[in-house]
Amino acid sequence: MQAIKDNHQWLMALAVVLAMPLLIDSGSLASEVLIYALAVLGCNLLLGFTGLLSFGQGIFFGVGSYTLGNLLVRLDLPLAAALPLTVLAGVVSAVLVGWLAIRQRNVYFALLTLAMAQMFYFLAYTMTDLTGGDNGLLGVPRPPLSILGVELLSLESPWQFYRFVALCFLVAFWLLQRVTTSVFGRTLLAIRDNEARAAAVGYDVHGLKLAVFALSGGVTALAGGLLAMMAGIAPLSSIEYHSSEMILVMTIIGGTSNLFASLLGAGFYVLSADWLSFIWPRWLLLLGVLLMLVSLYMQRGLWGVLESLWRLLRGRRGAAPDATQPEQRP
Amino acid sequence: MSLSVKEIHSYYGKSHILQGVSLEVPEGGVVTLLGRNGAGKSTTLKTIAGLIAPRPGTITFRGEDIAGLPAHRVAGRGICLVPENRGIFKLLSVEENLNLGLRRDSPWQLEDVYRIFPRLKERRGNGGGQLSGGEQQMLAIGRALMNHPRLLMLDEPVEGLAPVIVEEIVAQIGQIRQAGVSILLVEQNLEVCTQLADRHFILEQGQIVYSGSNEEFRADHAVKDRYLGVNV
Amino acid sequence: MTATPVRPILRAQGIVKRFGKFTAVQDVNLSVAPNTIHSVIGPNGAGKTTLFHTLTGTLPATAGTIEFDGVDVTALADHQRVRHGIARSFQVTSLFPSLDVRENLRLAVQGVHRLAAADGWLPPTGPRARRELVDEILERMGLTRVGGLPAGTLSHGQQRRLEVGMALAARPKAIFLDEPTSGMGVDDIGGMKALIHGLRGDHTVVLIEHNMGIVMDISDTITVMQQGRVLVEGKPEDIRNDARVRTAYLGNMITGGAA
Repeated sequence: MQAIKDNHQWLMALAVVLAMPLLIDSGSLASEVLIYALAVLGCNLLLGFTGLLSFGQGIFFGVGSYTLGNLLVRLDLPLAAALPLTVLAGVVSAVLVGWLAIRQRNVYFALLTLAMAQMFYFLAYTMTDLTGGDNGLLGVPRPPLSILGVELLSLESPWQFYRFVALCFLVAFWLLQRVTTSVFGRTLLAIRDNEARAAAVGYDVHGLKLAVFALSGGVTALAGGLLAMMAGIAPLSSIEYHSSEMILVMTIIGGTSNLFASLLGAGFYVLSADWLSFIWPRWLLLLGVLLMLVSLYMQRGLWGVLESLWRLLRGRRGAAPDATQPEQRP
Repeated sequence: MSLSVKEIHSYYGKSHILQGVSLEVPEGGVVTLLGRNGAGKSTTLKTIAGLIAPRPGTITFRGEDIAGLPAHRVAGRGICLVPENRGIFKLLSVEENLNLGLRRDSPWQLEDVYRIFPRLKERRGNGGGQLSGGEQQMLAIGRALMNHPRLLMLDEPVEGLAPVIVEEIVAQIGQIRQAGVSILLVEQNLEVCTQLADRHFILEQGQIVYSGSNEEFRADHAVKDRYLGVNV
Repeated sequence: MTATPVRPILRAQGIVKRFGKFTAVQDVNLSVAPNTIHSVIGPNGAGKTTLFHTLTGTLPATAGTIEFDGVDVTALADHQRVRHGIARSFQVTSLFPSLDVRENLRLAVQGVHRLAAADGWLPPTGPRARRELVDEILERMGLTRVGGLPAGTLSHGQQRRLEVGMALAARPKAIFLDEPTSGMGVDDIGGMKALIHGLRGDHTVVLIEHNMGIVMDISDTITVMQQGRVLVEGKPEDIRNDARVRTAYLGNMITGGAA
């Protein structure tokens, strides 16, 4: 029973992952939801758990796309090797960005991440050998997952690809759940609450922020890489500012109090984009209104709304706990 | 009574700074509020000025209840606070700073302020950030005068200033007093206080522990030692 | 009657702190004997809090050296000094408001160990929960009853006590308290005074306080500062009657009390 309680977030994510094929027609769309959910998890680690507002998540997303693209296309590496390297690329670029940005706080930190996002965009635009510039890196394959020549998983069809993305997502989610409930994760909450106090109590705040940045970069790069495989192209748009903005918006709309909220935010955005854009090309206006509503009245995001509904139905007994609060445990 | 403060309690968040403060400033009189650091002197001025709302307590100014009014309304009634940090706009010139407080019905217009503070006239075109400490203080007081104060509240006006400047400012405050403005002065410099004031209140740990006329206060060394010095 | 010379646990020499052109602390020497209560007092603008910040490492000193328990800590930042046995509380309450009281203390206990926060795998349960030490501090601060509540919901007096508790959680050799009774009501102040006095046995206490009643009653040594320098230092009886201190506080001259 305790095991279910501890892992309830992951179990909820598992339920969603299993339910999506039943509710959604397109395997690609379902994959897109989980891919962006990964990116939102990366952003939420920074925003919800550490209190860092990063306008540069698109950097790591793009780095992931380009790295995996290049490793598969140019170097023809097997997927089992290319994916970890992509994550590593995300970690390295995040440490770089973090190293510079963490020197500042609050508004200046956010501005620095924004500035670096623009910088990386222009780098990608001009380094056409590596990135294909405006056209993007074309012809990204979708090789089967194989180890030592033995094929384990084919990724050909959209739903086969979805299986793989789901696997990556669930593993990553579980790891992040582990990390956020760990000693390290709880220390991040302290930094979020009161940085000066955290330092006065003995924590190397700078170092810890860098560590969470690295983690965020790795997860986000993984997402970028998976997107490149799905689309067959590592586009310039994934490193464009809009990408950072989109990820941030999904994070805020979903809610920053726990990991599952990230899946909610990504799901909502991606599915709305797909369904609403048929009905109304100006659907982004609705999104803008929703963002305002969240900022003014629903600061806990969609998760908060669901939580309130749940409490209403259960008469306050079934309130789901906030993962960013410490568990009451013996 | 120009100003009557009764039993006010003020908080910074949960920190209970003022624990029942009462004092009075007579029409045209000068009253000082003394006390060690942390006693709550600045908080008292801020509460009267409307920057902090007292809960509970009453503040009556010229017969009207002003407790809980927002700061700009309190200023509109004629209570002008010159804060400890002076609040000079560094990017604006001396004259621009003064004109910010301009009110057509004020007995102090630009020329009147320059008459009391000749140094300001000399530096009228200089930027606020280029002034010395003393000049900034004069500018802050001058700006308050432009706003037609019936009650002028000064928070440590001569702190950190050179002796010559202190003398100058004390004389200038005297002039303002003679023009009929009531003054509530927070000051740690006893000499300045006894030169200017009719009545003294001492604040300790958020409560008034002494109230006396200037003559009484000058003579009472025990009180000074106990509440202002270290000889508790 | 000769006093046995005791090596000071804290020795600060030639401390200078400048902010641009403004010198807040000018050439201050301070020696604190172990297991004593050493108070720093002074009139407005004396530089007490700035001095405090340089001693605890919250701000780096512009010049001077600080030796703590035989170790030169001058170049160390505050989070590094914690490991050497220096802990502090803040004048304006500084806790982790959304986390519960126990968690606040657990974090403070954990912070002393260099790489404690590097554990990204195991949750803070079992031995990592540091239950015993946390319970001990809760008990000592009279906060056992509110251990499970978010720190932000505590009353002011309770928050001030938790402030001190956070410093104690590091099991420091020296504990720096910055106006611990700030904003407290009369009832809470008595308790805090007794608490601080009781710390003497196991710790050295360096205190900034404006409440002269407390300072005079419980201090072993008092350092009086004025305008960035040390004016006088001595036992409470000596300080009370010192003419220079009197002048500094009561400002006889129109110069505003400059010595």
